[in-house]
Amino acid sequence: MSGSQYHDASAEPNLTPMLDMVFQLVTFFMLVINFKSAQLDMNLKLPVVGSARPVDTKGQEDLLVLNINKQGHLTVYNTPKDIDGYIAGEAQSSLLAARQKNPKLQLGDELPTTVVIRADRATPFHLLNRVIQECQKNGFRNFSLKAMNKAEGET
Amino acid sequence: MELNLAAMLDMAFQLLTFFILTFRPAPVEGQISLRMPPAQPVSPVKNAVQAGDNAANDDPVQGLNSLVISVVPNTAGGIGSMAIGEGLVATLTGLNDRLKAVLADQASPFDQVVIQVGSGLRYDALMGVVDVCTRQKLPNGQKLTKLSFVELPEGEAQP
Repeated sequence: MSGSQYHDASAEPNLTPMLDMVFQLVTFFMLVINFKSAQLDMNLKLPVVGSARPVDTKGQEDLLVLNINKQGHLTVYNTPKDIDGYIAGEAQSSLLAARQKNPKLQLGDELPTTVVIRADRATPFHLLNRVIQECQKNGFRNFSLKAMNKAEGET
Repeated sequence: MELNLAAMLDMAFQLLTFFILTFRPAPVEGQISLRMPPAQPVSPVKNAVQAGDNAANDDPVQGLNSLVISVVPNTAGGIGSMAIGEGLVATLTGLNDRLKAVLADQASPFDQVVIQVGSGLRYDALMGVVDVCTRQKLPNGQKLTKLSFVELPEGEAQP
């Protein structure tokens, strides 16, 4: 029969280009995945402030991120923490790290760490102030107050 | 010899599916950087006008190096009333204009702002005031970044 030669031909697609493309996509997603966002509590609704600038650490990576909800509770990596104990512990770590550059630093001296405050927009001032005062008591002087540039959904 | 790529492709697709499903781009957040030393009592500048020297009391904030802004919340936690020194300002625009006027004076001794805040003021309302303050420039051309907060007790009288 004249058609028998077609039955013998194998029809395997060449998967190499598809595999290349899929690996490129996988690589893209692996690179853009942001592990830093794990320390941010995405349930918080930040205030909207026009002059808030995108984060510029100026080479300084020593940041202490504090998420404060509207009840004034502090969460770190979505785990509630005791405010006084956690800040004192972080101040101790920051002091130890800073002593490598300046061995004369004492407890209560100004620390180089920047405290990044991510507070819910409905947080009353007295709850927020408690956290700020605790930070100041432990030697933190540099603060970054987080806010959105524009309301969610706005383009 | 040809490798069987189907198994590798299956695995790559599974990885791709995982990354697509877990991909959530973080919203672009901004920040206001501040230097916040613990609040100090408002102290007079050396050799400045002392209390009682100015009998007319036409400039009560003269002689102080900390500019005091008071913000009293309304019942909803928004801004109820504001005052700079002893002068009331009605809106954030008014506060901005008054601050500009005070800091534009080359003889102005102010290098920091103390914000007295009612305990019930919401964070977003406070950030509105902080936003206005951090937009200001000091007479020496530097941006105003030195702020302190002082908590007013609940039920504090209007400024």
